[in-house]
Amino acid sequence: MANYDFERLSVLIVEDSLFIRSLLINSLRILGVGKVNAVDHGGDAIEFMQKVKSDPMSVGTQEVDVVISNWQMSPVDGMILLRWIRRHKDSPDRFIPFIMITGFSEPKRVQEARDLGVTEFLAKPFTIQAIGEKLISIIERQRQFVHTKDYFGPDRRRRNAPIPFEDRRKLTDKSPGVEVIRG
Amino acid sequence: MADPNKQKVPTVVRFYRFRNRLKEKTLGLVKGTGGISPEALAAAEIALEQMSEDYPDWVSGLISKMAEQHSRCVDTPENRRDFFEAINLIAHDMKGQGGTFGYPLITDFSESLESFTSIRNDINDRMVELVKAHIDGMRAVIKGRVKGDGGDIGKQLAASLQLAIERYKKG
Repeated sequence: MANYDFERLSVLIVEDSLFIRSLLINSLRILGVGKVNAVDHGGDAIEFMQKVKSDPMSVGTQEVDVVISNWQMSPVDGMILLRWIRRHKDSPDRFIPFIMITGFSEPKRVQEARDLGVTEFLAKPFTIQAIGEKLISIIERQRQFVHTKDYFGPDRRRRNAPIPFEDRRKLTDKSPGVEVIRG
Repeated sequence: MADPNKQKVPTVVRFYRFRNRLKEKTLGLVKGTGGISPEALAAAEIALEQMSEDYPDWVSGLISKMAEQHSRCVDTPENRRDFFEAINLIAHDMKGQGGTFGYPLITDFSESLESFTSIRNDINDRMVELVKAHIDGMRAVIKGRVKGDGGDIGKQLAASLQLAIERYKKG
């Protein structure tokens, strides 16, 4: 099995706890990630992402490949950031993989983030192993994006497995009203 | 040619299927599944361990901040709601860190404190006392460098906090 070369990868870390932030920066650098930028909260992240689009020289990167963001931050939390990235017209990449770091484990919370289009969760307390696994998952198991009237984000069905109840997904690629965009 | 019947139906769902650029970027032309080098993972683990050594100092700062909010609860009871909110946020932050750095007791205590300080109404003196019991417990964990479950000392600390919580519940 070949090892990934993360040298060309650009990651944005959004974390208000200084300690955790430097931990994440260090870990990603040691894993070989070429570009690691970090900001304090969702508001700064939005500003950063806007600059990536409008003035990349000023932030030193032309793209962000992965966002790793804490959930609970002030004044702008991870959920507002996620919504902005997925839905705002100024977002430089609405399809960007988004890893949410969270101490919340209640199913309701998890579902809330999933329905806003989160790609992966990184549960606190995390380990280096867990960070590695999330990166692998994002790279190896890229999901199609689904856009309906009330959802935009990675396919919430992760596995192509039979489901034990009536399938609510009735449409196929060939159904009227279904558009498949490839790129 | 496109099916003319299909065009009449408005789009209800769009599927975006892109080629895997991230994989191209990190694995190049190599076929198959990639992995992270075990050496890099091991090096990152070592770095994490080294950072863990600074954790007690860092968390002591947070505990002091909570203690400050606690004194305010005592001094200006009319603003307890705000102070509880501040304590709640710090507890949430600490909850996520403790386990990462080998102090699961800090995670346990801050989890208990977080859930308890989510109350915003009718904050009475006994609740403020219970905050103090949590802060004292965390201080003891850090001062004694009680890592892991902390053995007998850990159990003792957890038990005395539990006692304080039960005393509070009985009223």
